[in-house]
Amino acid sequence: MAAAISIQGLTKKYVDVWQKQEVVAVDNLTLDVEDGEIFGFLGRNGAGKTTTIKMLLGLIFPTAGDASILGRPMGDNAVKKELAYLPEETYFYDSMTGWDLLDFYARLFRIPEPERSRRVRLALEKVQLEPKAWKRSVRGYSKGMRQRTGIAQALINDPKVLFLDEPTSGLDPIAHSELRDIVASLKEEGKTVFLSSHQLADVELICSRVAIIHHGKLLRTGRIKDLVAGERTEMVVKGAASNGVADKIRAIVPTAEPVVDEIYDEKSGETVRMKTDRMRLSTDDNDKINAVIDAVRAAKGTVISIVPHRRSLEDVFVETVRKEDGV
Amino acid sequence: MVPLAIARQTVREAMRRRVMWIFLIIGVFLIALGPVFGFLNPRESTVVLKSLGLAAILLAGLFITIVTCIYLIPVEIERRTIYTVLSKPVQRYEFVLGKFLGGFTTVFINVAAMGAVFVAMMWFQTHKSSEVTLIFQGVLMTFFQLLLLAALTVFFSTFATPVVNFFLSFGIFLVGNLPSVTDSLTTSRLAVTRIAGLAIYYLLPHFGNFNMQNKIIHPESEITNTNMFMIQNVEYALIYSAVLLTLGIVIFDRREV
Repeated sequence: MAAAISIQGLTKKYVDVWQKQEVVAVDNLTLDVEDGEIFGFLGRNGAGKTTTIKMLLGLIFPTAGDASILGRPMGDNAVKKELAYLPEETYFYDSMTGWDLLDFYARLFRIPEPERSRRVRLALEKVQLEPKAWKRSVRGYSKGMRQRTGIAQALINDPKVLFLDEPTSGLDPIAHSELRDIVASLKEEGKTVFLSSHQLADVELICSRVAIIHHGKLLRTGRIKDLVAGERTEMVVKGAASNGVADKIRAIVPTAEPVVDEIYDEKSGETVRMKTDRMRLSTDDNDKINAVIDAVRAAKGTVISIVPHRRSLEDVFVETVRKEDGV
Repeated sequence: MVPLAIARQTVREAMRRRVMWIFLIIGVFLIALGPVFGFLNPRESTVVLKSLGLAAILLAGLFITIVTCIYLIPVEIERRTIYTVLSKPVQRYEFVLGKFLGGFTTVFINVAAMGAVFVAMMWFQTHKSSEVTLIFQGVLMTFFQLLLLAALTVFFSTFATPVVNFFLSFGIFLVGNLPSVTDSLTTSRLAVTRIAGLAIYYLLPHFGNFNMQNKIIHPESEITNTNMFMIQNVEYALIYSAVLLTLGIVIFDRREV
């Protein structure tokens, strides 16, 4: 599949006025986004996500590296006809009505009437903004209505590639789910979506591939199903204190640890931590699970629970970022 | 089409600013006060109306131009509304041009409103079309003076903050309206002062050239060729504004938003 967005060695450094302090916002980023996919761009606050998007849109200029969108250089005016951008916060001309705002953006695409009005109507309908709000000033819109208007302005030119920066953050559950579904539906229309988000559950649900960026560096990229592969099994056993079974378990799974109960003592008003004869362990190796079961049975212990855990994108994200930070 | 769309939106936003309406109301109020002051000095009532009217339009126009234009670009960056504009197929020169056109249209609307009141007052007081024509010429020159100021302010707004822009634009407007100061600098004995004076004289816009108060208030102090005077000033305003806008576009083209 052809790359809709191709980024090679993109770097952005900010240097203070005295040229002494240098902040690397994006560090040698290289990645491809395939045509027609919803690509999740993940990272903590300040990881360099918005900086990357702003460079791709020509709002700021890279220190090094290059990128192309739909085969044309980033920032090129010709390619901007095929792009859309929803910023992290929806900043609008508040005095305008929803309809006028979209009409203004449509004019920037040089869309003539009556096509312009048709597109405005279609976009507002697509994002399910109540018709009675169309002619009301944006100033009085709720966060959800503003976000819907933001997505509508991004759809006004029927774009091929959309850059969406946190499209569902801060919304109520209903608006959240509706807007997430709207974003998901863009894939069915053959559009490419570059989705920057902290809502990892959403990303897992609607994206096919993701990239994890941290301190401007690309840490991981790949298909979500590959990243979350590897089911882990969590197990709790009883009787670990007897017959040296704890040592046997640790020999099989070194990360196994004793379960500590916390008991509140009403007299002293303190929480007391008490060691138990239970152990908790987690592994993705079924042979080790079987070996632990055998060891516990041989020691006349009890297996209390065996719970298989599917890894989520959040697990992968936290694991990747912590590993990089050395935590 | 794109600069026009941006200009239209800019006028709309600018016309919603209360401070602009305050200056407009003060301007109209001062013009309307002309006949009142005229009653205090009946022999010079027309002169009072002319002086007050022209001064009110220039003063109100000056503040309207500055408060409208200093915010045109910085506010877009500060409020981040520029993201959804420049991420669309909008060239940066189209953006600057649209902002300037919007700012200048706002100034035009205001000057035209004050000018209409002024012309009407003059007509009611004198019933002379020659006086009305003179007033029209004076207002027209004030308008082109403010056009040049708008271009200067938009030029500064491509890189300066509104506060810095205010002092720069206002200061240059004052210096440009005091040709006697720059003249005396150019003839100074000190070489440094003379060079600085010459630089100021040639680089800064000559706002004072647009003033027609003398001719309007004292018609006997005739300008040799009024048409030529006006045409040359209009040409000067247009060329100087075009140069300022070109420089502003070059700067803004390299600016990160």
